[in-house]
Amino acid sequence: MALLECEGLTRRFGGLVAVSSVTMQVATGEVRAVIGPNGAGKSTLFNLINGVLPPSAGLVRFDGEQLTGLTPAQVCQRGVSRTFQLTALFPEMTVRENASLAAQARDAQRWLPFGGGAVFHRARAKADAALERLGLSHVADRPAGLLSHGDQRLLEVAMALAQEPRLLLLDEPTQGLSVEETQQAVETLKTLLAGGELAVVLVEHDMEVVFRLAHKITVLHRGAVIADGTPEEVKADPGVQAAYLGDFADAAD
Amino acid sequence: MGAWRGLILVVAVLALAPLGLPPYMMTLLTEALILGLFAMSLDLMVGYTRLVSFGHAAAYGFGAYCSGWLLINTDLSLPSAVFVAAIASGVLAIGVAWVCTRSTGVSFSMLTLAFAQLLYAITFRWTSVTGGSDGLAGIPRRPGPFGLTALTSKTGFYFFVLGLLVAAFLLCRQLVNSPFGAVLRGIRENEAKTLALGYNTRAYKIAVVALSYALGGLAGALYAPFAGFANSELLFWLLSGQVLIMVIVGGAGTLIGPILGAAFFMFAQHQLSSYTESWAIYFGMLFIFFVLFVPRGIWGSVAARLRRPAADGR
Ligand SMILES: Nc1ncnc2c1ncn2[C@@H]1O[C@H](COP(=O)(O)OP(=O)(O)O)[C@@H](O)[C@H]1O
Ligand SMILES: [Mg+2]
Repeated sequence: MALLECEGLTRRFGGLVAVSSVTMQVATGEVRAVIGPNGAGKSTLFNLINGVLPPSAGLVRFDGEQLTGLTPAQVCQRGVSRTFQLTALFPEMTVRENASLAAQARDAQRWLPFGGGAVFHRARAKADAALERLGLSHVADRPAGLLSHGDQRLLEVAMALAQEPRLLLLDEPTQGLSVEETQQAVETLKTLLAGGELAVVLVEHDMEVVFRLAHKITVLHRGAVIADGTPEEVKADPGVQAAYLGDFADAAD
Repeated sequence: MGAWRGLILVVAVLALAPLGLPPYMMTLLTEALILGLFAMSLDLMVGYTRLVSFGHAAAYGFGAYCSGWLLINTDLSLPSAVFVAAIASGVLAIGVAWVCTRSTGVSFSMLTLAFAQLLYAITFRWTSVTGGSDGLAGIPRRPGPFGLTALTSKTGFYFFVLGLLVAAFLLCRQLVNSPFGAVLRGIRENEAKTLALGYNTRAYKIAVVALSYALGGLAGALYAPFAGFANSELLFWLLSGQVLIMVIVGGAGTLIGPILGAAFFMFAQHQLSSYTESWAIYFGMLFIFFVLFVPRGIWGSVAARLRRPAADGR
């Protein structure tokens, strides 16, 4: 059974249908990319999944439980972590403190108003492990606001990972990176996702990144799914080719 | 640890102060400690959570009216009345916080101000309880049942205030260093991200506002029996502004700074007002100077300087 199921998910903003009856599944160990041009509804889809926005219609199920109606905090507590298209960090805290605060959020005693040595100890261990996996250990004591843009994007992923989620939602993790930085990030993400214990939804602009990381692809166009399948199937899809004028063929291989 | 040694030293000096200072200085010092407690309580919101209250006088005035009314109209002893008033302020604050935290930023600040003005207006309407424009006068310091008469003398009351300030400081310090405090820092730097990480940020904000008001109410509850009166000035926006200045001048987000800021404010007011009628103008200029040239405040700057050589030495 799929870990994440979206059924007929729809969101209207006034007259605009930003997400239109989207149905998709993601299983544990699977990386599903959601692609489509700017304004296709990708970020809105994430907002519907993690409870930032209520859907106009349809529902989201996670591990059989309905998420619709839960707050973002509640969704996160169930094991769904996300990164943002626009980098959102705690700039004055160190990199380790950023990741540690993320990890603390899943601790049963996260709110403890006194002491808390054990809570900090647990959170810090998870934070350090996540930073290690993203190759950020060497900047762990630096204020997050002073990192390069590329490292900030990776810290976003590290923070999500420090929460030990079962479903990871990555919103354009390579946005704004240079070509070399993107290559590096893709390598890092590839080893990260190879573990197979995570379900991942990846929103990406860069087709090369998508084809290197994704097992399945959902193509959104004006909020609706116009194709859904393996990278090969999607590349060969005439509807997609019409919509993107061969962009994918260029990016392939 | 150095921090503990410093704290013990300061408390020892303050505890010995009654031996060396003339009575009028002791009166000033007592008031400075009460104001210090008030300013420190606001620091939990302003410095640690970036919830800027424009109406913190609500806590102070409410606490003062509560303890004053209890001491006049019931048989409660001084410590009990003060304690009950502080709890009442905290409970009231849960309601205030529930309303105010529906908005953020400037509208949050405006709502806290509106709430303080509401209490201010009530003092002129509900005159049977508040004494109207005269306020409550002749508030006694009634000794407790356990022979706590010592607390009611001038020096005894000073020690009562000092003890509560130290206790409140220790309480706040362990709070800001706890996991709860880490979440407050997250809210201060990026509330949306803190929420996205899975923290129910509103619950944290309500809790910190309630504690802040409870401690602010405690300060007010001490002021009423200290001064012997409580009036509507204790709820006025001017006091809300002044306490915010104390926090910023002393150093927001340091706990110690606001206490120093309050003492500084007290003594500056005392000194300036003996030279000039328009002391408030000079104090205003002093405040502008601090915002422009000492943005971290008195203690923020000192602490930064203390930390640097220590870090190098290690
Ligand atoms: N909160 C909102 N209010 C109104 N319109 C929105 C909102 N969020 C997104 N939209 C609109 O919905 C459409 C999809 O946006 P988005 O999901 O951000 O696209 P993508 O991430 O694929 O670039 C866009 O036309 C955008 O302007
Ligand atoms: Mg987007």
